[in-house]
Order: sequence, then structure tokens, then C-alpha cells
Amino acid sequence: MGLTDDRERFREVGEKRREDLSEFISQGDLGRSDPDRVKIPVKIVDLPSFEYDRREAGGVGQGRGGQPQPGQPVDPEPGDGEGDPGEEGGEHEYYEMDPEEFARELDEELGLDLEPKGKRVIEEVEGDFTDTARAGPRGTLDVDEFFKRGLKRHLATDFDETYVREGLFVAGADVDDAFAWARGHGVPVSRAWIADAAATLAEEHGEPVTALDRWESFDALDAERDPEPVSRRIRREGLDSVPFRREDERFRHPEVIEKRERNVVVVNVRDASGSMRETKRELVERVFTPMDWYLTGKYDAAEFRYVVHDAEAWEVDREEFFGIQSGGGTRISSAYELVAEILEEYPYSEWNRYVFAAGDSENAGSDTTESVIPLMESIDANLHAYVETQPGGAAPNARHADEVEKALGDADDVAVARVAEPADVTDAIYEILSTEAEGGDAASEETATAGRGGDDR
Amino acid sequence: MRDERVEAKREAKTLDEPAAEARELAERLGLEPYPVRYWVVDHDEMNELIAYGGFQRRYPHWRWGMNYERQAKVDRHGLGKAFEIVNNDDPSHAFLQESNSTADQKAVITHVEAHADFFANNRWFGLYADRGEGGPNAAARLERNADRIAAIADRPDVDRDEVERLIDAVSALEDAIDQHSPVDAARSVETPGVAEDVSDADADPLAAIEAQIDELDLSEEVRRDVFDDEWLEARGDGVEPEEPRPDVLAFLRDHGKRYDPESGKAVDREPWETTVVDAVREEAYYFAGQKSTKVMNEGWATYWESVMMGGEGFAGPDEFLTYADHMARVLGSPGLNPYKLGFELWTHVELRAARRDVIDRLLRVEGVTPENFHSWIDLDAVAEALEPHPAIAGAGPATLDELADLAADGDPRVDAETVDRALSARTDEGAIDLDAGPDVERYPWKLLTREGLAERHYVLSRPEHRGALRNVSRETLAERARYMFDVDRYATVEEALAEVDRTAGWDRMLEVRESHNDVTFVDAFLTDEFVREGNYFTYEYSRTAEEHRVASVDADDVRRKLLLTFTNFGKPTVVVLDGNFRNRGELLLGHRYNGVALDEESAKETLKRVFELWGRPVNLATIRVEYSEKAVRRAKRRGREPEGEEVGVRFQYDGGEVTEHDLDPAIRERIEADEVDYDTKPDDWLA
Repeated sequence: MGLTDDRERFREVGEKRREDLSEFISQGDLGRSDPDRVKIPVKIVDLPSFEYDRREAGGVGQGRGGQPQPGQPVDPEPGDGEGDPGEEGGEHEYYEMDPEEFARELDEELGLDLEPKGKRVIEEVEGDFTDTARAGPRGTLDVDEFFKRGLKRHLATDFDETYVREGLFVAGADVDDAFAWARGHGVPVSRAWIADAAATLAEEHGEPVTALDRWESFDALDAERDPEPVSRRIRREGLDSVPFRREDERFRHPEVIEKRERNVVVVNVRDASGSMRETKRELVERVFTPMDWYLTGKYDAAEFRYVVHDAEAWEVDREEFFGIQSGGGTRISSAYELVAEILEEYPYSEWNRYVFAAGDSENAGSDTTESVIPLMESIDANLHAYVETQPGGAAPNARHADEVEKALGDADDVAVARVAEPADVTDAIYEILSTEAEGGDAASEETATAGRGGDDR
Repeated sequence: MRDERVEAKREAKTLDEPAAEARELAERLGLEPYPVRYWVVDHDEMNELIAYGGFQRRYPHWRWGMNYERQAKVDRHGLGKAFEIVNNDDPSHAFLQESNSTADQKAVITHVEAHADFFANNRWFGLYADRGEGGPNAAARLERNADRIAAIADRPDVDRDEVERLIDAVSALEDAIDQHSPVDAARSVETPGVAEDVSDADADPLAAIEAQIDELDLSEEVRRDVFDDEWLEARGDGVEPEEPRPDVLAFLRDHGKRYDPESGKAVDREPWETTVVDAVREEAYYFAGQKSTKVMNEGWATYWESVMMGGEGFAGPDEFLTYADHMARVLGSPGLNPYKLGFELWTHVELRAARRDVIDRLLRVEGVTPENFHSWIDLDAVAEALEPHPAIAGAGPATLDELADLAADGDPRVDAETVDRALSARTDEGAIDLDAGPDVERYPWKLLTREGLAERHYVLSRPEHRGALRNVSRETLAERARYMFDVDRYATVEEALAEVDRTAGWDRMLEVRESHNDVTFVDAFLTDEFVREGNYFTYEYSRTAEEHRVASVDADDVRRKLLLTFTNFGKPTVVVLDGNFRNRGELLLGHRYNGVALDEESAKETLKRVFELWGRPVNLATIRVEYSEKAVRRAKRRGREPEGEEVGVRFQYDGGEVTEHDLDPAIRERIEADEVDYDTKPDDWLA
């Protein structure tokens, strides 16, 4: 109970009642949002009640500086007759989401699964102490590892001495015979050890070992005895000593992790020529703005550059981007030349790059085939997209989209989408964003690990 | 609540003195406020309090969260700082914003004292808030509801979403209560699940039958099959109100059920559900008092704040500028502002009462008639004569001797005791030793009684009202004179003026604050003069011009339009017409059509909430105005407004879609009011 709880509930309720995302993208008021907060109107979040029709009800106002004349137009102020001063009347509530949530929601809504790639190394950090080296401060000595190595060495040289000695008791067997037999059974014993043992036995028994004949033959011995496994003996007798050696020492040190930032640069390109009227511009905004939010939400860092063009291209700020209308003709390649120039600041090895262009498909002469397509091919990018905004369907002489599609439509990294009305917007967004998702190369690791210093791993 | 916070505590400490002095001043002015506890809160706590309607604890609901977010946004963008919030309770609790300047705090305290007086003395507040022996106990009640509902929501067998849905549904209907018999409001259900008025078996045949069925201990299935709703309703005529019932919420509480999607039938509510419905309904009544006196209450507080702050210099000279700024901001808010409308209406009440007192006396001067009033009487001389006595107007250390002389003559305007104490504490240099006597330098009003203060603040001697006597019309004078006897009581004007009652305005205000609500207040005191001087006007939507236009500046029109804004909280009146509509246990609500149609979108949404509380199909009868395309076109051509056709319509909702049906003429007759007309459009307004 309490405010935190009630606010949390409001968020939940608001989430449920906010405008559907696709509806919002294609019809809603995008202008309320800024790049950090996507604001989606919440449907009738205030509880309904029986109310008068505002138009039928009319109202009372107070003139400032004199009595107004009947018939004079007035602007009824929202919240007239109700509420405290300063209280907002009739304003929409907004459900606010950050771009990350927006991206998640859009993924869900459109079934996208774009996985951003980490590109630029932004830092190397010390990870866990999982890497080892042969030298290091005593404090970082990996005692477990040291002991294990010693133990391994111990086990590798350990053998059942009683068993091997029995070999010398075989009738007529000399040191060489016993050595061959023991080695034949995989016992890691040296000939020198057997020779020592034979000398000791000869002394004890007062006769050479060849004369000892407890066993008729090695076969008879094998039938009776097996070497006792090391593990059992250790368990029985305990581990008397483990041979520690310098070479077994391993010192821990931290793993080095290269963090790669999932960074993206998006170049939005728009035709601002005379034929790009208000409706077309709005369609461009409806496609580009949600994609910008989406990529902002998907990537750790996103930079946006905005290019408009008619016959010439120039760079603008976001605020101006969707509104500009210039007079000139159209030469789309001018924009791509500028894009290539801009992208030099963002090496492809370090940046994910998206180039989104939009226009009504009109282009000068053979500019598309002769200049634009080669430029598109030469500019490395995760995705090149062209959005044709042509309310009422394609015009016959507007061929840019068709030509791009014909030349590059099969490429993994080129998408062409056509938008004739707001209802097409989400399809276009899907078309564009899913192209990269499907076609992007599979290496989508977020971090890359590079070892250093350790050997023998 | 937050007194452990050092900052807040320190601030609160500095307010102890102003608070005590403001209380003394308020009482000296004739107010009788509830005791007020002052708290200083930071802006976040303030936003929280505002979100919760002025209380610290309310039942759990998302709406408070929404209010908070909204308020925080307003606060953040500096769109409207809340200076204070005060709740209607005995004692009242006032929460002051920590960041207020000292001047603001003082102003707010005077404002709050006046609110507390209104809470304590307005009859409508008393009715709604059930001001019984123990006082309104508002905080305690709301807290109890908070606990009960929170406990319900926490129960493992109760889905919290369901609780909130229920609260949503009841809240959507919070204005569909009977504001005219608020006493009924307080009658809430003490035992959860059993409404008082149905638990008495004799009083409600349906409940009695149900009780008997319960005793049979049948399984739910058998019970549903054999004794279904129709069977029950056929026998229980208690469900059908003979008279339309304005308290829709009470009706739903007592007779509503819950739709069970699994069986597809209406089932009885769980006891907890009735508890929730009842608690939220009870709170709706509590807040109804506040809603139905908003203009009066805010105007009242603003009026006394201006007397105490401006008139009595409660703000120090350095603080006065900030105060004036604060005042300008509150009164200068755009649109129809309840503070401003209320303030102006109260001043108007005062002015009229004072003026009437003077006129009545002047008309009794020998030789004065309504006809010769303006020529016979030297109104400048009258204005001169009505100026306050210099020692009263300038009361303070400098006029102590004069005041002492007046006191010696037993002048009722002077507080003889304070004057005496101040005199004894006066040092040789003429200053007052503050340890020994009252601080009459800072609080000169301590030297005066209510009568003295009334003279100091006499409305007819305020510069802006000096012309009030001159402006009085001959008709008004004639009307006053008509019923007047004892006409030649005074030989001279001077003699008449000597008897003028300077407290007449304030006395009248105190009466009015006791008995009125916004509707009656506006109805009674919104005069031609008021509308003219305030430049008030009505506006209407023109279908031809497709915009709002000024419609009328006529006082009657403005009054009617304002009444529409205040009657039933400015909401259309919806009543229960039938609890067994079409003999199928359906609910029929009727919108009392007064010429203003419903907003259909919100009406349909609200109807869906009603369904949640009724459990069976629900209907709403209303009348809408339809404009044919032809009529609109023709009207446009002629530059006139199109004639609409009023068409009866019944909306029905049964859990699926809201459907629309023709309205039975007999029902239409029941919802149609023929006398009321809120349309203020003149015929030729588009010319």
C-alpha cells in the first residue's frame, strides 16, 4: 500500500490502456515524444462518467477589458468552470516508455528479432580471475591447481611396489625379465628400481633372485595377483607426500574482456524537392521516427545524421529534417555522395551503419542506375533502405524504388518499402527492420573474449 | 506526520506565531473555524497529498498514482505550485509547502483559517460529511476504508485486479448520488455484505425470500435452476423503484449483482464486494460536499485572506509584494476561475447588504423619495461621512491616545482592554514594550473589536466601490421604498448615516455561508450588475460557424449557464427508472434530459461500468439532438444555426457491445424536462 504501489499500478493500468503501438505509429501524435521518452497517449485513462456533450453545453467566460459582443468567436479554455488554477484540463495522459521498452514492444508487436552486433572496442576490463600464468605474486598462487599437478605427477610415478617385487620371485626371472613383465602391465617402474629391489632381495635371501621360485612362471603370478590400483592404495595408506615442483606452480590473473559497444550510426536521407508535399513528408516521419527510436533502444549508443537533398544534398538537424521543403529538382546520388562522406567518420569496422532514404521515387534521368546503385554498393552498411512515399500509388515516371529493387533487391542488406498511406507504415517498418534481421551475418556476439598470457589451457 | 524532519520542523516553528495570530484575527472578524493543525511538507509530499485528495491514506488504487504523476508534472514544469492543501475535518489539517516564502505561508494560513470556518459552518458540508457528535472524522473514515479495502485486496481468495475494477466502476458513478438527501449518504453498510435497508426482511420482500432460500441450503446449481433471477424478481417488487431513484450507487449497492462469465449468469456479490462498493460510495458523499461548494468555499477563503493580508497588513511591508504577486497569480488564472468568481460574488454579497443598509436609512430621511434620491442627497458628502473614523482607520501605536479616549466613552469599536494594556506598556519614547504589552505595531487589529474592524474595511469606503451608491437605480430604490414603513425616521442625512451598520455586509456573508451551496449562491447573487461589471458572458458552439461564439451577455443567460455548470456538480442527472426493465431484471437508467445532450462516448463507457455493478443487462435512456445534413446545409446558406431534432434513444449493454435502440415514448416522457432551457443562443447571433 502507499504511493509507490499506486504509481506502480498506474503504470500497469496505463500500459494496458495505452494506444496500441502500430496504431500509434501510423496514426498517433509522434511529436509529443523526444528521443529519450516515447510518449504514447493512454486511452481514456481517467474513469468515464456521465457528462454533457461539450458542444451542447456551452459555457461561461469572462471578458478581459470589456464586455464581448455576441457572435464574437471565443476559444473556450479547457477546464473552464472546474479545477484549480493551473490544473490541466482535458489533457491526454501519456504512457511513457524509454526507447529500450519501445524496441522490445515493437519486437513483440511486429515479430522482429534484430540482434545488434558489438563493434567498437570501448574498453578492456578485468574479468574474473579465471586466467592463469606461470609467474605472479605468491598471493595469487593457484593452490588447487598446484596440488592437482603435483598429485598428477605423483600418481604418474607411483606403482604397487609389492606387486612388482613379486615378479622377482618368479622362478628363473632376472631383473630384465621382471622389468619387461612389469612394463608389459603398464606399471611405471624403472629398471634401476627393479635392480635395486633385486639386490635387496638377494641380500635378504642370500641367493640371487633368479633362484627365488615362489611362482612357477609369470603366468602363474598373473593368475594369482593383480596390481593394486593407486587410488585404493592411497586410500588405504594415505598420501605420504606429493612432489611439489616449481613447474607446477600456476598463478591466477584476471581474464581480459574486451567490451564492444553496440553502436550504430543511422543516416536518414530525405528528398526535400518540390514534389515532396506535406502528406509525403508526414509519411516519411512516421516511418523514420519509430525506426530511430527502435534503433536507439536496441543499441548502446546511437548517432543520427540527417541529410536532405533536392538536386544537391546538405546536412540538417533533426528538428528541421522532416519539415524542409526546397524547390529544386531531384538527384538522389547527391545524397549518397554526402552519406559516403559522413560515414567516413564512422568506420564500418567500428560502427553498425544504417542508411535510410526516403522520397517519392522521382529521380533525375538515369541517376539511379548510373550513380545511386553503384554508390549504395560501395557504401558498407548493415542496411540500405529506401522508403517510397507515394500517396495514391506509384507514379509512372517515379522509378527509383523499382530500379533499386531490381538491381539490389536480392541483396541481404537492401530493403525497399512503399508507403501510400499511414496504414502502410508498420508494414514498411517491418520490411526494413526484418531485412537486416534475416540477412545480417550470424556473428552476433555481444562481447569477444581474448586470452592473454596463459599457456597450456 | 513528518515532524521528525528537522527542516520541516524548523519551518513549522516559525509559523506558530502567525498561525496563532491568524486564528485570533479570524475570530475577531467573526469567523468560527475548526481548530487547524498545520504541517509543513516538501513538494513531493505535497504532490502526494494532492494526489490523495488532501489525506495521507486512501484505499489502494491506480488513480492516486495517476494523480500524483500528473501533479508532479505540473509541479515540475512550474505550471501551478500548490501552496497548501487543507482537508475538511475537525480539527482540520492544513499542509503547507515548505518552499513557500514567509509571505506565502502567512497568506496561506489566513486562507486556511477561512476554509476551516467554512467547513465548520456550511450546512451542506455538515450534511455530506455527517458532522455528528464526533465531528466529520474524515481522515479516520478514509483511513478505515483504506485499511478495509487494502485488507480485501490482500486476501488470497481475492484478485486484486477485481477489487480495482470494482472501485473503477463505482468511481465512474461517483456523481450519480443523491445530493439532495445527503443524510441517506451517511447510512452505510456496517456489516459487510448486508445493506442495512435490505437486511430488514420485512422491509424488503426480495431479501426475505432470498433469506428463506438460503435456509434451504440448496446447491448453487439447483438454486440457479429453480429459483432464478426472474423467479425472484417476479416475487420481489422491492427491486423496482416506484419513483425514479437519484442515488444510483445506493440502488446498485443494494440490488446489484456480479456477472459471472463462467456460468453466464448474474450471481450474488461476495460480501467483500459490497464492502468495497459501499466504502467508495461513502467517500463520494464526503467529497460531494466539497464539490458542491467549491466556488463559495474558495471565494470565502480568498475574501478573508485579502482582508487579513491586504487589509490588516498581516504581511509585513517586505512581504506584501510577494503576497500581491501570489494573489494576482491565483486570481489571474485563465478561464472561469472559482476563486475569482467566488471572491467577486462574496464581495457582491457584502456590497449589496451594506448598500441596502445605507439606502434603507437614507430613504427614511424626511423628504427623501426614490425619485429625488440622487438629486436631494449629496452622495459625495455621504461617501465622505462613511469614511472610517481616523483613529479606527489608522489604529496603531500612534493613535493609542485617541483610541483610549473613544474607549473611555464606551465606544464598541475599540478593544478597551488591549488599548489599556498597550498604554501601560508604552515607554517614555512612545514605543510599546513587547514583553509587557501587545504588539499593536504589527497587529494593530488587536486594538479593535469586530465592529471597529468592520468600519476599517467597510466596503462602501473602499475606493473601487465608492460609486456603488450613485449607481443604484431608481427601480431598486422604488422597490426598497415600497415596503418601507417608518419613512420619516431621520430628520437629516447625518442622523441617518450615524446609524449605519458597518457590519451589515459581514453579517450577511456569515448567513449566506451557512445556508448556501454553489447552485443557490449563484442563483441568488449573480445579478445584472455583477455580470455587467465582471464582463461575464455565455458562449455556445455554432454548428454553422464550426466554432464557439459568444452567445449572450444577459445576466439571466449567464446565470442559467452557470447553474448548468454547478447543478449536480456540472454533470447530467442520471437516475434509476426501473430495476426490472422488460421484466427481465435489466436495469434502466434515465438521463434527465434538460436540453443538453450527453457525451455519448463517455456515457457508453460509463454504462459498461454500470454493468459491472448490476451483473445483468443495463440500459440508459436519453435524448440526443440530431442535425440532418440538409438542415445543416440550409442553415449554413442562410447564416443561421440548424434546427436539431430531439430523438429518444436507449443504449443497452450486456457485456458485449453497446447497442442502440429506439426509446419507448412512455420512457421518453419520464426523462424529458420541458421547462428548463440552457440554450442561450440569440436568433441573430451569426449576423
